[in-house]
Amino acid sequence: MSILTLRSEPPERIDLLNITPLALSSLSHGDAAKLPVGTSRRGLTLGDVFAIKLDGSDSLVIEGGSSRLDRVGAALSEGTMRVEGDVGQRLGEGMAGGHLTVTGSAGPFAATGATGGTITIEGNAGDHAGGAVYAAKAGLDGATLIINGSAGDGLGDRMRRGIILVQKAGARAGQRMIAGTIVAGAVGDEPGYGMRRGTIVAGSHGALLPTFAETGTPDLVFLRLLARSLGPLGYKNLELLNGPMRRYSGDLATIGKGELFTPVG
Amino acid sequence: MAAWVKGNAADKDAAVDAAATLLATAHTPVFAGLSAELAAIRAAYRLADRIGASLDPVAGDGLYAELGTIATGGALTTTAPETLGRADTVLVIGNRPWDGDLVAEIAKSKPVRGRAAGEERSVLSLGGPANGASRHVAYGVGNASLDVAIGHLRAFVRGNLAGEDAFGDLAKRLAAAKFGVVLFDAGEIGDAGTEMLLGLLKDLAETTRFFALPLADPFQGRAVTQLSAWTTGQAPRVGFGRHLPEHDPWCFDSDRQVAAGEVDAALWLSSLPSPRPNWLGSLPTVAIVGEGSADARPETAEIVITVGVPGSSIGGSVWNERRGVIGYVPASGQATADTAADVIADIAKKIEQKGASC
Repeated sequence: MSILTLRSEPPERIDLLNITPLALSSLSHGDAAKLPVGTSRRGLTLGDVFAIKLDGSDSLVIEGGSSRLDRVGAALSEGTMRVEGDVGQRLGEGMAGGHLTVTGSAGPFAATGATGGTITIEGNAGDHAGGAVYAAKAGLDGATLIINGSAGDGLGDRMRRGIILVQKAGARAGQRMIAGTIVAGAVGDEPGYGMRRGTIVAGSHGALLPTFAETGTPDLVFLRLLARSLGPLGYKNLELLNGPMRRYSGDLATIGKGELFTPVG
Repeated sequence: MAAWVKGNAADKDAAVDAAATLLATAHTPVFAGLSAELAAIRAAYRLADRIGASLDPVAGDGLYAELGTIATGGALTTTAPETLGRADTVLVIGNRPWDGDLVAEIAKSKPVRGRAAGEERSVLSLGGPANGASRHVAYGVGNASLDVAIGHLRAFVRGNLAGEDAFGDLAKRLAAAKFGVVLFDAGEIGDAGTEMLLGLLKDLAETTRFFALPLADPFQGRAVTQLSAWTTGQAPRVGFGRHLPEHDPWCFDSDRQVAAGEVDAALWLSSLPSPRPNWLGSLPTVAIVGEGSADARPETAEIVITVGVPGSSIGGSVWNERRGVIGYVPASGQATADTAADVIADIAKKIEQKGASC
């Protein structure tokens, strides 16, 4: 297991794009230390910011997090990465495979554009987790995002594929969703604004949009299959998928093929 | 030209020297405001490139509400003259469009060319003032936000909702237009609302002609956008910390940067009036402000340099909202003042003389 130990709070935002177990496995300690990670004219390198211990394995631990560590695990395609602490924006951006875990909280746009693998945030996620960054066609795009704490507003904004599991989300979860699945213990106001397709399952919700229409309480095999498929992920709110659910269809402002499930009663 | 350094009156050379020292020693400077004539904005981008600064125009939030949507899905837009000449139906969204004279001008005139030439013009309002000097039909939004109301209206236009309520009536009026225009401010309705509205126009354009007329911000944001695009290939919020322009609207939001303690110096450029950043007094800052403005005083920042105001004491190229282009405005009298572009160029020259490592 390779280990990067944060020397101190970075003086600027640090870009860890391309710092993955695979990328480090072929580098000597000296070469790894020279990798540029700073974002200002200080020209900070990996060795300036972290104490480095490499063993060539497919596992990397970052000890000591910071909300200034951006794009952690962004290029991960295989292996595991674990951050013991917080991270900044775009955690796992465009990640294609492997397992990425953050024990603290993540900044905005976690898992944006991630096409594969599993991203777990044990703390909270900022706004637009699983959401699209500026001008991007899609947010989460096939990966699995698990948030054991709360997510901010715009969870899954423009997500196209994949699954998001979260305990609690802010306003407009599933905004502009293209497809995919969100399962949340609770979501805030106006879930699914502008969603085209996709599924949101919420234990409770804030104000609903006038463009979501109730379509009854169907007994769908899909929800039980979803619960079964999510079982191995250790999600805490799976029981909500087993009870009777009320279904809303929306957003009728668009093609309206999305759906929101919420427990009856 | 007046200038102050740490509250004391200074001549131009001393102020420029102090500004150069401050910026040359900063590691993560930010250039904010950018409410100025085009030459000054261009000089600011050049200096930012030289010293590794990031840039964020005061118009940023409103600009990005529109830019993100356009970048993702495009837009069907028109201009004020085309609206006045051709539109038989104009929908005004929210309150901001009523601040200027355009709505009144639209309400007073008729289309004179195109398919609707000679017909009466229908002015409709969604979420705007119910009463006013201009003749219009107002549709309220109740407690809903504007973006929710736009989505609700769009559901009626698409035929996914039906009924005799107000939005059903408004949807029929819009669908009956021969040449329709929606007047709005992207900053007022937000990013998601703008995308919903432009989607509504695409739906309407399936059967008739309907266009967007987004209002420009009053702080040169559109000029900054154009200049940034031809200079960096990116929208305005870019950083040069790694010696190439990197675009990141979240990262280079100056308010966020300052709040997070990521900035160690700033240059605030405002030769045209613009709101002061809240953080101005909390950070070592070079303020380049229009002479005679409320900010042309020693307390504004650590270093304050006054410059000519385009269209008043100097000539300069600024955004012309009416025509939707950058245009030159001459000085109203004899041009006498130093320009912001010259001051920034002098700062850049002084930094070069100091041999700052960039």
